[in-house]
Amino acid sequence: MLRLVRIEFCKLRRKNSVWVMLVSAFVMPFFAFLYFGYLGQTNIDPRLFYKWSAFGYTSFIILPFILGLFGTMLMHDENRYDMLKQLWIVPVSKMGYFFSKFFVVLAYSICFMFINAFATVLFGVIPNYVVVEWSSILFLLERCFEIAVLTAIAILPILAVSASQKGYIFPICITLLYVFAGFLITPVNTWLHPISCIMVIIARNGAVPGMTLPQSSVPLELLSICVWGIASVLFANLRLSKRK
Amino acid sequence: MNDTVIKTKRLTKKYGTQTVVNKVGLHVQKGRIYGLLGRNGAGKTTIMKMILGLTPITSGSAEVFGREIGGNAKRIYSRIGAIIETPGFYPNLTGTENLEIFARLRGTAFPNAVKNALEVVGLPYKDKKTFAHYSLGMKQRLGIANAILHDPELLILDEPTNGLDPIGIAEVREFIKALSVEHGKTILISSHILSEISVLADDIGIIDQGVLLEESSMRELEKRNGKYILLQVSDIPKTILILERSFHVKDYSVQDEQTVRIYDTTLNMGEVNKALVMEEITVIRSGICNDTLEDYFKKITGGEGIA
Repeated sequence: MLRLVRIEFCKLRRKNSVWVMLVSAFVMPFFAFLYFGYLGQTNIDPRLFYKWSAFGYTSFIILPFILGLFGTMLMHDENRYDMLKQLWIVPVSKMGYFFSKFFVVLAYSICFMFINAFATVLFGVIPNYVVVEWSSILFLLERCFEIAVLTAIAILPILAVSASQKGYIFPICITLLYVFAGFLITPVNTWLHPISCIMVIIARNGAVPGMTLPQSSVPLELLSICVWGIASVLFANLRLSKRK
Repeated sequence: MNDTVIKTKRLTKKYGTQTVVNKVGLHVQKGRIYGLLGRNGAGKTTIMKMILGLTPITSGSAEVFGREIGGNAKRIYSRIGAIIETPGFYPNLTGTENLEIFARLRGTAFPNAVKNALEVVGLPYKDKKTFAHYSLGMKQRLGIANAILHDPELLILDEPTNGLDPIGIAEVREFIKALSVEHGKTILISSHILSEISVLADDIGIIDQGVLLEESSMRELEKRNGKYILLQVSDIPKTILILERSFHVKDYSVQDEQTVRIYDTTLNMGEVNKALVMEEITVIRSGICNDTLEDYFKKITGGEGIA
């Protein structure tokens, strides 16, 4: 598996869009910087700043969307250029292929959230909006890591759809639908959508001020993410077995 | 020792109600080039895909190295190199990088495998050009390089000269021949180009509308389709008696109730005709004929010729 993952990274050579997409990790920290600058507040609660820059739209919309795009991009070349049959006769196992893509998405997600954490600290500390406290920075890093891992798992359905399609338009449409569905479902029922579940897990024990959610059972949210994940893997296995 | 590398038994593929491959029995012998000849859409690629386990078999079986692929994939695939349809590669990578990926996936043990494979097909090693900028011919060559990368015993090549220029076709033909003659590789090659198969193959399978119409060695086919004397007479048994007794003819075949083919073209036809007439046999037609492989293809497929 490690060999497959390494090879997946080799395949990303000269794909500049992969790096460009990481720039979007700066979007919400920058808006938080503008927002708190506009309010003229200093020494604000670090968690409030993090909510704006890392836990809000970044984890709700930007990261899932970017991961959806990235996952589609990973699958696209092999589908478009009809390379799967060459891989199967190497042989590469269908599930090995799928999970190697997932691990690349996971690594990318972790990079993205650490860049976001770095940008958050940068845009929060330099203008003196938040005071540097190691405990709050560690909290930010911990939550960013959680968001990265859980969002990568939450994006498995998109990866499964991408694996089953030759084109990229349908998976991208599904990504948009999936991401905004998560955003809209959250105030109603968080168990229904993995991205909503992530919000509950991140905001557990009232760690994120001002984030009120209809459910608060972390085990059930984790269960929901697992159910979606397993269903996606089964779907991908079925579709890849049929795709020759 | 079993010398049959690929053996299919009543291999059938159906899509819905349409039968695209119908009870095909192929026998590819070790160290030989087997040419699968047929028009576009005859079922050649589907047969190759079924042999490789890339598409499910509706009925029948396909054995490679004496085993079915299912369940033995890892062991068998490492002994096979294949190109099926147009080979695809990562467009953002160079030819060398693409082959390095496949070499790593296969765990190829040979240190210069990529370099050697590229040399064989005449592509530069460590070139800066990405696959996206390759011509169709270069893409095809890279596909062949990928197929021979791990030094397989069996090569399955589906129309490998597609898109190559005439010189490229000749070069590819040469090294396919060399792979078989010098390195003892077994090769199953499909083509709709008759001249290609006739030059390359040791054995030939003619397929039309999913049915394998003929399977024989090229030598046998040439013999059957080379020069011969066609003799149309009123009494075949009597004619054969005269040919055997008076002219010592042994190499002949009876085509129908009135026609006999004599493969010894040195026979004096004037003498033969005279002898037949004296025995009151009417000679309707006699003369030297020469069938080409294309004539034969037309005859057995019951239709138009092939490229």
